[in-house]
Amino acid sequence: MSDLRTAIERATPRRKRWPWVAAAVAVLLVAGGGFALTRGDASTGRSATAGAPVRGGTLQFALIDYQRSPDPQWGTNYAESLIGNNITDKLTWQDPDTGEITPWLAESWEYNKDLTEFTFHLRKDVTFSDGSPFDSEVVKANFDQYVHGDEKLGINPNGAILLPGYIETLTPDRYTAVVRFEKPLASFLQASSFTANAQPGFLSLSTLKLSAEERTDPKKVIGTGPFVYESWQPQVKTVLVRRKGYNWAPPALKHKGEAYLDRIVFNTIPEASVRTGSLTSGAIDATLDVGTTDEKPLADQGFKIIYRGVSGTSIFFNLNSQLFPTDDIAVRRAIQLGWDREAVRKTVLTDSYSVATSVLAPSVPGYVDYSGTVLRYDPEKAGRLLDEAGWKEGPDGIRVKEGKKLVVKLLGISNLVANKPAYESIQQDLKKIGIDLRLTVVPIPDYTALLTKAKTDWNIVAANRSRNDPAVLNLQYGPALGNGSYVTKDSPGIDVDEVTRTLGALELTLDPATRKQYAKAAQDLLLDKYALVNPVYNPSQVIAHADYVHGIIFDAQSRNHFVDTWKSNGK
Amino acid sequence: MLRYLALKTGRALFVVWAAFTLTFVLLFVLPADPVDLLFDPAEVNTVPPEVREQVAASYGFDRPLILQYLARLGHALSGDFGTSVQSGRPVVATILDVLPSTLLLAAGALALALAIAFVIALAATSARRAWLRDLLEALPSGAVSVPVFLSGILMLQIFSFRLGWFPAFGDTGARSLVLPLITLAIPVSGPIAQLLVRSFATEFRSGYVTTSWAKGATRGGIIVRDVFRNAGLPALTIAGITFGNLIAGSVITETVFARQGVGRMTQAAINTLDVPLVQGTVVLVAAGFALINLIVDLIYPLLDPRLRAALAAG
Repeated sequence: MSDLRTAIERATPRRKRWPWVAAAVAVLLVAGGGFALTRGDASTGRSATAGAPVRGGTLQFALIDYQRSPDPQWGTNYAESLIGNNITDKLTWQDPDTGEITPWLAESWEYNKDLTEFTFHLRKDVTFSDGSPFDSEVVKANFDQYVHGDEKLGINPNGAILLPGYIETLTPDRYTAVVRFEKPLASFLQASSFTANAQPGFLSLSTLKLSAEERTDPKKVIGTGPFVYESWQPQVKTVLVRRKGYNWAPPALKHKGEAYLDRIVFNTIPEASVRTGSLTSGAIDATLDVGTTDEKPLADQGFKIIYRGVSGTSIFFNLNSQLFPTDDIAVRRAIQLGWDREAVRKTVLTDSYSVATSVLAPSVPGYVDYSGTVLRYDPEKAGRLLDEAGWKEGPDGIRVKEGKKLVVKLLGISNLVANKPAYESIQQDLKKIGIDLRLTVVPIPDYTALLTKAKTDWNIVAANRSRNDPAVLNLQYGPALGNGSYVTKDSPGIDVDEVTRTLGALELTLDPATRKQYAKAAQDLLLDKYALVNPVYNPSQVIAHADYVHGIIFDAQSRNHFVDTWKSNGK
Repeated sequence: MLRYLALKTGRALFVVWAAFTLTFVLLFVLPADPVDLLFDPAEVNTVPPEVREQVAASYGFDRPLILQYLARLGHALSGDFGTSVQSGRPVVATILDVLPSTLLLAAGALALALAIAFVIALAATSARRAWLRDLLEALPSGAVSVPVFLSGILMLQIFSFRLGWFPAFGDTGARSLVLPLITLAIPVSGPIAQLLVRSFATEFRSGYVTTSWAKGATRGGIIVRDVFRNAGLPALTIAGITFGNLIAGSVITETVFARQGVGRMTQAAINTLDVPLVQGTVVLVAAGFALINLIVDLIYPLLDPRLRAALAAG
């Protein structure tokens, strides 16, 4: 049959066009690809023309997350807090460098001696973008709903963690608001400037009446901020436009009048290489969430890298004071001394990050440097401490005491790129002194699920907490609050009352000098006396932007404000 | 016939119910107390007990498990899957918002994959040189082995970042759909093309083709008039089955190209432990699959007279 067919086919000669067409297409494709890959990068030709700020333009900004709800008091991810900061304002502004609380919507304030009553005197010229005035009634309505929630409207008590023991807000006159608490709460002053997750950004009375579902219509979410919502497309982008007539940026910023930019587009781009590619090709002007390996190549191409450490605690190893073998203070001290910080700095971190020198980040008021004392690399001393405590080296190099191996189980989160490599570096170093550190580094949901059994199952919980106030130590480690090291009467050699008292003192005063003392006492206790924590590194928020972008602000919580941002390329 | 109908419908309903129950068990029973999962992990130990209770009550997590299950099942039957923990919006509205985007991507990619597959098969069948035919026949297995993630990034590097022909991210009109469609269509086209190449070859060697040759038909004419029609049907069948691949592939495509879609929404919901949203999505996808299978089952007797006869006899 085949022969017959071939014979018939040969009898009807036709020109063969197919191979030629295919070859032509292939040549074109290869040429196109080659041309594309060799073509010069368009972004390198731009020049910086800093100088007087220029009004106008649209900032195309990229980040990894998206806003799941336009309600700033609801959102708990970075995109939500960052966008929320630009459509709402707070009572006070915390100086990112000094930690000092300075005026914003409140011109001045005072508090009673007990730190249970805070009186704010409000600016009189502030309005919401729907024209309604900002006054003490609005402050009260916001705080009440923020703390208690509203079940009918489906609003959660988002502020309950930030404002523990909130009783009420009094309104003695139109521009005076008195916030009252059950117990002394020194950290409330910082909370009044809080710009991170589920923040106290003020919403208009008309917005507060709306249900959670209605507040997902961005046009109905009304704030006093320098920008207002233009549109919101979940998973894709949020667009803000300049608020006309805005004139109440924090005085500390020295910014007069409206924002410079006409518009900001927050583009959500989950994939790292697409964020950097979009930046280098000019599709976006700036991006957050720059990977550690992308920083140098971008800087080499002329892009500016700006960053600020995440304020609050460093990435910590919280040591479980009840669970074998970290219930032995010798083991806890050996973990602090037994790893090479220089190696982590060199091999894991970039210049935007730093090795932790206390459990507090350096930006938090009251921070003390322990790099010369407790937090140094001293494997000999670590080994000696373990020897003295009766930990003898076993046949496989791992120490043993009373027939039990020195195995330390760590639970960590994989959400930051530097976490796992840093932990692995520590793991290698600890092995050399006979400690077997076992890592379980998992995504957030798995972490949260496993965390519920942390008290009985994990020697170390590795994470961080963002709050630019020394009272973060009480929130994180106070035995009645976060109790990060599970300090109870069962913790050998630890006076639980002393821990409660020392950490709790941070809520009792706002006198800077006394507070500094208390912060030092708290760090001494956690790091030195009881060795309850092994700080690892200070995480950072890193932005890469084109050289024609100016004035992106990192605030004290390392969130960004764009009221002072401008572009010198006139687009 | 009626029994066949009832049987197939019952099976579809069972699949949906099982998906609902299984997600309930996985999400609510296994990991931990679902209330813990509602708070920021860094703050979960600091949450005042009365706030825990209030939030638990607002999502119904404070009631006995069996009552929770029945209440949720009851609501689900009336199309109410509760509200998303992360946005406060009803789950159904949230899903319906992004569904068209995913359907457009999946349907477009399927159409493109079919076109690619037919072109490859036609070209391979028409090619007279052995080396060219071998090359074309190797394409489908090549297409299957290209990871969506990698081809997506490569596509972006060339056509978006270097040439600037298409936008790299977002949902802005037809131009932003081109690269995702191609990326998703390539791996899907593989199995279809492979099947087509084989059945084209088989058909090409069958007797009726020889008859056509003898009648003086051209090679092109034979391929288009005879072979194409007869070899196309199995490809259409496999295209339906490929739908599952499309949905899975769309998760990655949506992420790489920063597009709106069910895949990415599910991923985000899992990452943020948005329990009601995860459950709603799983049930919806299960219902979608069950429905497609049900339609196929019900259409079979209409298409195939033999099956119809068997059912009538039974």
